[in-house]
Amino acid sequence: MVDVVSFDVERGKVREFARSTFAVDPVYTDRGAAVARGHVDVVATPTYAVVSLHFRNQREWVAQLGLNIERVVVGSVRWTYRRPMVVGDVIVGTRRLVKDERKPGSGGDLRVLTLETDFVDATGQVVVTEENVVIERPST
Amino acid sequence: MSGALVVEAGQELPARVVGPLTQADVLRFAGACGDFNPLHYDTELARRAGFDAPIAMGQMTAGIVAAWIADWCGVERLAEFEVRFVAPVLVGDTITLTGEVADVVSGDDGREIARLAVVAAKGETVVVKGRASAVLAPAMPG
Repeated sequence: MVDVVSFDVERGKVREFARSTFAVDPVYTDRGAAVARGHVDVVATPTYAVVSLHFRNQREWVAQLGLNIERVVVGSVRWTYRRPMVVGDVIVGTRRLVKDERKPGSGGDLRVLTLETDFVDATGQVVVTEENVVIERPST
Repeated sequence: MSGALVVEAGQELPARVVGPLTQADVLRFAGACGDFNPLHYDTELARRAGFDAPIAMGQMTAGIVAAWIADWCGVERLAEFEVRFVAPVLVGDTITLTGEVADVVSGDDGREIARLAVVAAKGETVVVKGRASAVLAPAMPG
């Protein structure tokens, strides 16, 4: 396990995140529109779990994995959804290292890490799973 | 979202143009997600790192693409979304989002699923390649 993060899905934060990603569907901002679609309240945009960056200690996990942050880039991200996050959800994300590989690159070996986070609601159900592929470029 | 969404293979998603992205746009996303890496707002630092302007977060582009897909199909239909970061997006860039329904398949539970292929590009330069799956019917409860 790499780290655990918890956060509340908040109305204002959902609105702020929707605006910052140019979302236009009123389901993120208008409770009536969300209820009409069958939700109990306003829902979060698909990548809202990124707000967990606010609550994670980046230095700590980077150090734990032995990475040099200046050489780290994110290669890809994949999300698998069970349901949208809804305002009022209390979410706990547990991140695990699932792969740590070396792959040849043009300037030397790349270190390719696959990190998986299950975001779980208060009932223990996984709402969203996020898989991140992080690449550490070779030192020059 | 009630009722079935009817789509067919080859159908194009309505394109979205976002930008030119301002420094304020990037800072708004920084505030929303909590990523305050100075590469996203310090022009001098960005230049020293080899960029002409501060760079937007990959997660910002990913979020913009995801929101666009969800605006089209309904966020509760989205079953999977995946992006690969190909090139950086800089303050001042305009990105165009395009995509199509690659095919329509039956999921494990028998529900119809549209598989989407999407691209975000600035001019001719692809910045993000993505794939998504949307459940067509019946809609997933949110």
